[in-house]
Amino acid sequence: MAPRIQPQRVSNALLPYLTSSTSSSTSSITPTSTPLSSPILSRQFSVTPAPQTRLRRQMFLWLTTKGAALKHHTPGETNYLTGRDKDDKSGGNPRPFPGNSSFLSESVLSEELRNEIYVRVVEKKKSVRAVSVEFGVDMKRIAAVVRLVELERRQRAQGKPLALPYARAVHEMVPTTPLAQEGEHPVYHESINDLPAHPSTGAQIFYPVPESRSFNRVDAGRVFSGAPALEIDVAAKISHPSDLIDDIVQNPNSIEWVGKGGNARQVLQPADVRIPHPQLVQLERDRKAFPNERRTVTERHNERLKKQEEAEQKRREVAQARREKSVQHVEPEGGRFNYRIQDAKFTKETVGVDGRAPWAPGRRYGIPADDRKRGIVKIPTRVEA
Amino acid sequence: MRNTASTSLSKGKIRQSWSKYNLYNLQRFRKPTTASRTFFQQKWTAKAAARAYHGEQVREGQWKRMFSKHIRSVIPMNTTDLAADDGSKESAGRGSGLSETSSRNRSRPIPFTQMAFAPLERRLDVAIFRALFASSTRQARQFVIHGAVTVNGQKMRHPSYLLNPGDLFQVDPDRVMYATGAPKTAFERREARQMKQKSAEPEAEAEAEAEQTKAKPETTEKESAKDTLRALMSQAKTIMSTDKDVLPAKRKQELRGFQKAVRRVLSRSDTSSVLTDNLEAQFSQLTLLLNAKRAEKKPAKGSERETQDKKTSPTSTKSGEAASNALSDAFQAAAEGGEVDTSELTDEEFDVLRHALTQMRDNPIDHSKPYATPWRPRDYMAPFAFIPRYLEVNQNICAAVYLRHPVARPGSAEVPTPFGESISTPAYGWYLKRRW
Repeated sequence: MAPRIQPQRVSNALLPYLTSSTSSSTSSITPTSTPLSSPILSRQFSVTPAPQTRLRRQMFLWLTTKGAALKHHTPGETNYLTGRDKDDKSGGNPRPFPGNSSFLSESVLSEELRNEIYVRVVEKKKSVRAVSVEFGVDMKRIAAVVRLVELERRQRAQGKPLALPYARAVHEMVPTTPLAQEGEHPVYHESINDLPAHPSTGAQIFYPVPESRSFNRVDAGRVFSGAPALEIDVAAKISHPSDLIDDIVQNPNSIEWVGKGGNARQVLQPADVRIPHPQLVQLERDRKAFPNERRTVTERHNERLKKQEEAEQKRREVAQARREKSVQHVEPEGGRFNYRIQDAKFTKETVGVDGRAPWAPGRRYGIPADDRKRGIVKIPTRVEA
Repeated sequence: MRNTASTSLSKGKIRQSWSKYNLYNLQRFRKPTTASRTFFQQKWTAKAAARAYHGEQVREGQWKRMFSKHIRSVIPMNTTDLAADDGSKESAGRGSGLSETSSRNRSRPIPFTQMAFAPLERRLDVAIFRALFASSTRQARQFVIHGAVTVNGQKMRHPSYLLNPGDLFQVDPDRVMYATGAPKTAFERREARQMKQKSAEPEAEAEAEAEQTKAKPETTEKESAKDTLRALMSQAKTIMSTDKDVLPAKRKQELRGFQKAVRRVLSRSDTSSVLTDNLEAQFSQLTLLLNAKRAEKKPAKGSERETQDKKTSPTSTKSGEAASNALSDAFQAAAEGGEVDTSELTDEEFDVLRHALTQMRDNPIDHSKPYATPWRPRDYMAPFAFIPRYLEVNQNICAAVYLRHPVARPGSAEVPTPFGESISTPAYGWYLKRRW
């Protein structure tokens, strides 16, 4: 057994609440160090010494000496095994594991920043894209924050229990991205223009190009996806890969396809198009082209953003309308269900070559359902939101 | 309680757990020696160490089916660089740029093999542990099995459910507070026992008490609200009993939910939440009171108190004993709902008192809870406190969104693992179909 610490009654009722006045919920009780030399003295009812293996002794020795600092945290500071002094090694991000230098404890959004994002998106009706650029927060994260804050508000209104002291404690232990005060330069949370490595770029390809020709990112994408080189007159029209952005943003289906059947694939587009915020490349190019006309640059940028948002909105509406059209709602009077009836599509992909594939909709004679069989995984693969 | 079966000192394996035993093991872990060992032995040791941490609750065959040699990675792009040229400079010469010192060549290598166990991070139990909602993956697993976890608002009882990007999972806040909070002391456990015994006594007394509380003039407003609720509830009951066959089931469900809600409100006076209700009222009153007193006192604050008082931290009980005694007296008076004598307190102490009262409102002493109250984080939690970027967590409601699958980027990998390349690379090689 571990050396028992006698439960010391805290006489001062104020103690657990009184901590540093900034903000903290840590207990202020200083770690009571038990004298290790006399573990027997603390056991009043036992004559025989407690069985302590060498490893246990070493562990408790470490916990009372070097490890004692890890027992409690200081609000606003991380308290990892690697210590506080090594924090500046990796751009300010501390490393929680001493054996792994490539894992960083990255900061989380502070409560104020989270609420500010919610206010911007929901109350001020700013677009997710604009807020993402403004705070340097990924667009997916913005959507998640809005969802979570919405849920939190609803739960507060309903009077459901919250874990407020826990939340405060976690935000004290973990690095956080603060909300910039007015007039301050905003602190960017993360890189927003992450380019996912496409699997087709993994191949090493030997592709000879005449020196007289310039080989740019558009050409590289075509080579990686096995598409023929662009015609000279078409290539001449593209002065920079970012020229492709407008067309593809307006109509993503305009991307060229290569290959046949199951091997069909879209031509790999240059990084300028594939990043989450392609409009920022155009903005940078405009800034370079018109260094003294800030207003024009901003106007052009805003116009582009507006067009992009309109296109996205339109696409969403069309998709929604198509979905609505394909589903027929039936609600029998006095019944308990709302039936959604969708026509089965009878194609090779949906029902197989002979129309009897196991994944085809409906019950078919001679094709048993697997949903109750032994050895078939019944764990759901998705939960509808 | 640590899992004695899985966290042993003699084996020294690292687990996904916040136990102090695990912390000690983590601290003393050294990378295994490679000298005089065959490549197979090296891979075996590395894989054993890595699997003890990653998905120790998952069978080996199950994990082998999950393993994928394809690893997700991203490159953060700089829009200024992209705008500067069209990439033809990089491909000039023999295909890698004319000048050697291009800015993009200086990027750090991507630690691909550190992502070997990325598929396991999709599991619901692991994600709950990573979001700091449970003190170990095994505990997270228990929460899921016991029905304390919802995914997208629906109860999910499979710890091996693989989260999809955009899934929102939520754990019961009480369980999270229990998992991450300090355990009760013997004294607190006894208090809870006594409280339980008291509440188990005949209900006649309770009813009598209820009658008494009704008589009190100050609670009339609340009582009237309660009366209306009661009326509503009886109404609902009558609807349920008379029109049982006519009503559609959906409506019945709604009614039942409504009944439940009403019952919860009505039964509040018997449970601990009445304490918090009272605290809420007390708190608002007290802050008003304190503000008033403070405004009175402000002109007189000049030279009475020295700056020393500011230095005496409220936590140290030894120094400035008299002052803190006054403070604690005031606090006690405030907590019991009496008149607060604040004339003896300094400005600093005023702030401390207010701060303490705020915290008391959010974090009350409540012996009915399974954790030590007021809640405080358990010991040795901070060394394990980090939240990976592929999760977005809201601690207030104990909910998190699985944003995307973890990725590697130049210089860092998002899968939290205590092992370096010397373990993860041989382990990755072990699971490849065509082993190295």
